[in-house]
Amino acid sequence: MAKYIGLRLVQSIFVLFGLSLLIFSIARVVPGDPARAALGFLASQDQVQQMRVEMHLDKPFPVQYYYWIRNVMHGDLGKSSYTRRPVTTDLAQYIPATLELILFATLISLVFGQIMGILAGYFRNSWFDGLSRLVSYLGIATPSFVIAILLMFLFSQVFRLAPSVGRLPIMMQPPPTVTGFMVLDSLLAGQVKTALVALNHLLLPAFSLAVIHIAQEGRITRSSIVENLNKDYITMHRVHGIRTSRLVFKYLLRPSIIPTITVMGLDFAFLMSNAFLVELVYMWPGFSRYAVTTMLNKDLNAMVAVVVVMGVTFALVNLAVDIIISFLDPTIRIQRRGG
Amino acid sequence: MWQEKRADLAASFALRRRGLAKGWYKFSRNPLSVVGLVVLVVIVLATGLASYITPYPAHAGPYTNFKAAGQPPSWEHLFGTDRIGRDVFTRVIFGYRFSLLLGIVVLGLGVAPGVILGLIAGYHRGTWVETTIMRVTDVFLAVPPLVLALAITAMLTPSLLNEMFAIALLWWPWYCRLVFAVSSSMRNQFFIREAEFSGASEAHILFREMLPNCLAPILTKMTLDMGIVILLGASLSFVGLGAQPPTPCLGTMVADGAKRLPGEWWSTIFPALAIVLVILAFNLVGDGLRDVFAVEEV
Amino acid sequence: MALLEVKDLCVGYRIFEGHLRVLNRARLEVDSGERVGLVGETGCGKTTTVKSILRVLPTPPAEVASGEILYRGADILRMSHRGIRDLRRREMTAIFQDPLQSLNPMFTVGTQLRDILKDSMGGRGRGRLSRREIEARCIAALHETGMPDPERIMHNYPSQLSGGMRQRVCIAEALSREAQLLLADEPTTNLDVTIQDQILRKLDELVDEKGTSVLIITHSMGVVRDLTQRMYIMYAGTMVETGRTKDLLAAPRHPYTQGLMESVPRLTGVGISDGIPGRIPNYLDPPSGCRFHPRCVHVMPVCKETAPEFFSVGEGHVVACYLYRS
Repeated sequence: MAKYIGLRLVQSIFVLFGLSLLIFSIARVVPGDPARAALGFLASQDQVQQMRVEMHLDKPFPVQYYYWIRNVMHGDLGKSSYTRRPVTTDLAQYIPATLELILFATLISLVFGQIMGILAGYFRNSWFDGLSRLVSYLGIATPSFVIAILLMFLFSQVFRLAPSVGRLPIMMQPPPTVTGFMVLDSLLAGQVKTALVALNHLLLPAFSLAVIHIAQEGRITRSSIVENLNKDYITMHRVHGIRTSRLVFKYLLRPSIIPTITVMGLDFAFLMSNAFLVELVYMWPGFSRYAVTTMLNKDLNAMVAVVVVMGVTFALVNLAVDIIISFLDPTIRIQRRGG
Repeated sequence: MWQEKRADLAASFALRRRGLAKGWYKFSRNPLSVVGLVVLVVIVLATGLASYITPYPAHAGPYTNFKAAGQPPSWEHLFGTDRIGRDVFTRVIFGYRFSLLLGIVVLGLGVAPGVILGLIAGYHRGTWVETTIMRVTDVFLAVPPLVLALAITAMLTPSLLNEMFAIALLWWPWYCRLVFAVSSSMRNQFFIREAEFSGASEAHILFREMLPNCLAPILTKMTLDMGIVILLGASLSFVGLGAQPPTPCLGTMVADGAKRLPGEWWSTIFPALAIVLVILAFNLVGDGLRDVFAVEEV
Repeated sequence: MALLEVKDLCVGYRIFEGHLRVLNRARLEVDSGERVGLVGETGCGKTTTVKSILRVLPTPPAEVASGEILYRGADILRMSHRGIRDLRRREMTAIFQDPLQSLNPMFTVGTQLRDILKDSMGGRGRGRLSRREIEARCIAALHETGMPDPERIMHNYPSQLSGGMRQRVCIAEALSREAQLLLADEPTTNLDVTIQDQILRKLDELVDEKGTSVLIITHSMGVVRDLTQRMYIMYAGTMVETGRTKDLLAAPRHPYTQGLMESVPRLTGVGISDGIPGRIPNYLDPPSGCRFHPRCVHVMPVCKETAPEFFSVGEGHVVACYLYRS
């Protein structure tokens, strides 16, 4: 198992190198002078020239890449030309907000998606199955920014049930930062009311993110439940008089949940990229909104950093999924132990 | 001799007709797929004839009429008018034109290289050729396409053309992976071995022996991908990194209208629903095709 | 009264091309303590029969058109969920053809075996078993099947076991509950020839010990001869002949049975038999009258019109063929 994880890690590192090379070369190939962009229009020609040397822009491309990657290794992602701060500082400030949003959305999609999928699969061809099919078709076809706007329009503007902007009202004093998760921090500071307000702010954006995944994972769970229901071993469990709750939640769910978890890992990428749009709608002060802002401002260093952070997160998530699955699926575990 | 041949031909036509009939039966067994197909046909016709059927074709371009700005839906303006007085219905129909164009261009550019690389990797399974191709593919798939597309269009200047280019650049790896999965599984089957023994060229094996067996999943994935590409394009222009105004782009329209919520809800809700409708239609048809070809997962 | 009685069972499947009429008035009886064989070609509806009895047919596409399946006089097809559950827990049990598919790959042998006993004999109430007793019974059940080191096997996943071992586990599962009736659907077909014999002998021994009634499905004449007292010959969804195994094998009467016997290669025989010309009929449009008539050498006009009733040809030996009408 350790050997397998090691192998996967090495593979991921290679892929990440490739990714950084790809994005770095695109950033260098595009028209425009990064040095000029970093200094702004007011800088003199001399200053720009000096910056070019500082940024190693006067050297050939491979050397530039070498310097860049060396800096990255030392935890230096360069300076953002937009916020005028080191990119790492920006990231540290914005990532927790997005993480809170994404994790909450994942939790929602897991709970609702599983319930929907199990019910629809077990009672296949029933009215509930039809309804869930309709819901998931709509969910998959609706871009997350459309869902975000619709939810905001309905629940925030028409019914006024939840706020539509930010993580906390401006008037409210945010709790001291510990984890960076607003709800958790408030609870840690003993401010229950703040926690509830923060949760209320979290609700709409998280749901907007979760809808597509509820639809997708519900569908996957349903189809693997149906597939497993036709398996001999489920028939056999039934013949042996295993009681229904055990049959469904133990013997049927375990093999069915594995494809769902695999898909969830892959979907995490889409969750992250959909956060780009949802954060924009709800003015969520997170990583994704920061990313979009830097992109709109052609902030090259920050953009490259954003892409690399996404790549690293995605690789880690998939590795985690792989490990979870090998714990759930004994056949894979045995294979890996042997091989 | 001739007669036999004719009989053979007739039989093969009959078979093919029967195949089509069976395919249609499988497709139409799911009424939703048929609905999706009808919707698609209507949308394609509408975009083709957009200049004739829309009430105010001029509104698709640079047009302003502040006197008629922000009007709610009426018989004159089915979906109302936007903040500078343009007919939203007209712009939605023209917006479909750009969405479909985007989908067609992206898949047109992206599928062929992906398929060819996938076939080559599948044929050379287990060699350095496969490793190289598939690892490069992994690099492209290491980040969600939306993020990479956003970054690339942002680095170039945002425009419809660059949007197409950026998405097309990101689309081949999916086909590479799909075709690789199918073709590498048939690598050692008899018909490939036999072609090899009889001295067929590699090109012949790739395109005459392997490719036909990959067509069903490719076609299904292309239909489903039309929806995904349109969604991606809408997201890009929603952020402001897609086609620039006054191009009638569905994503831009939603973003513009969203600033005027909840008052002028029609200028954002109708374009938003239009996006959902076209993606839904492609998904339904794609699912129908999946039933026809019995493709497991794409 | 018979323990199990299948009466005029008609079961079909709905598919794209139309309606497959597979079981056509299938009849079958198993008495208490009796061992019965059901023999026929692949695709003649044997497995459909067993699945109907266990009420695990996938519906749709399958549908029971008419007929009754009586267990001690109660119709299984019309039983409540609770009724069928109790029946499965206390009365009936089964072994399927493919041991690779019959065990859940996600759980250890012990977990699966334990849960079966827990649900049918565990919990509260009179005559229920404690956890300790369940554990002991699991190990005993595995031990009975001739499995070496049952304690270790309990911790194994099915994928760690060989085909023969898995089928032993299946047998242990089936016989751990002291059921009255065992339905064995080709229990050895998917095993190596060398293992087949061991498994059959073990099965034989165990049902002998426990006095279980057995309905065994097979296409091997050898298996029926060794294991059963009475047998049915099935052709295209209908029983064509039944009688004591000894009598039937000695003097097969139905033309189909005769053909079937002739196609069994004999070590002492000379040459290879011709088999039965033709194939099993298309269930979309089965032949009228006797379903065997298109392949029958003795076909008469009446065969094409109405299906024959059973005609007696000896003590308990009946044949559905007009040749024996008198």
